[in-house]
Amino acid sequence: MTVLRFMEWLGASPAANAMNGPEWAFPVVESLHFIGFAFLIGTIAIVDLRLLGLAMRRQPAGQLEAELAPWTLAGLAIMLITGPLMFSADAVTYYVNPSFRIKMACLVAAILYNFTLHRMAARSEKPGVAGILAACVSLLLWTSVLGAGRMIAFV
Amino acid sequence: MSLLSFCQWLQETDVSVAIREGALLYPIIGGIHLLAIALFGGMVLASDVRLLGWGLRRESVTDLIGQLRIWKWVGGVLVVVTGLLLAWCEPIKLYHSKSFWIKMTLFACVGLHALIFRSSVYGSTVALDQSPAMPLRAKLAAALSLLLWAGLVFSGRLIAFDS
Repeated sequence: MTVLRFMEWLGASPAANAMNGPEWAFPVVESLHFIGFAFLIGTIAIVDLRLLGLAMRRQPAGQLEAELAPWTLAGLAIMLITGPLMFSADAVTYYVNPSFRIKMACLVAAILYNFTLHRMAARSEKPGVAGILAACVSLLLWTSVLGAGRMIAFV
Repeated sequence: MSLLSFCQWLQETDVSVAIREGALLYPIIGGIHLLAIALFGGMVLASDVRLLGWGLRRESVTDLIGQLRIWKWVGGVLVVVTGLLLAWCEPIKLYHSKSFWIKMTLFACVGLHALIFRSSVYGSTVALDQSPAMPLRAKLAAALSLLLWAGLVFSGRLIAFDS
């Protein structure tokens, strides 16, 4: 089965039917998606602002990162449930949408980065310049995810 | 002049037309609006989670709320300014949108929330830190603030789907 075939099947699946059923289904799931990314990106932004020396300067970045991690993960979980649900509503259209593909590439990079290099930088003894760099890359990656996501509706 | 004729006049202004018809302007403003929602939401979440005792318990309330306040403001101002620009480009639609008026009502509730809790909770964090258990009014303020924020996200998103 080709990927496109799979998308066609997905678009006709029960999840897609539910999403395309009642009028409120899509906007409600999309609102939850927004709340999920606010949790995810908002908590990461706090760690980044700390690494940049722009907020919470009395706390070590690693402690903040660890304390915020459950909320970051909660946001990620909400996103990874609501995102595929929205995708299934119109799988083929999303699959061929260039902005969607850019978003997915940025998203994979951002998630991998966040839980590896970014976490290492935040939890190191003295993040210093490496921490500043790590924060800039992090903010850039998540901004790209959001920006590309917003553009899906416009290309 | 009625509110509707004001909306009609607003919709004909140059700024309104420019945002509506410029290919990139609308999605860029919308993108910044989303970023600001995330920034503002993150700050609200961190402060409220601390007040509710659900996390960040190693930080003092004073530290957390005090140090994040500026970023809460940055996010809040950005979200309001971009929101006004987005509203400027389709005022007639918004005038007829039920979700928009729900959102405006929620904004009024945000104002009320600030009036009620600003001095007793957000302005007296030192007392909260010294109190042996988090007072009920602080938890209530935090829970209501999270609910209001989520309500604003929901009603805002629903505007695009109002027929």
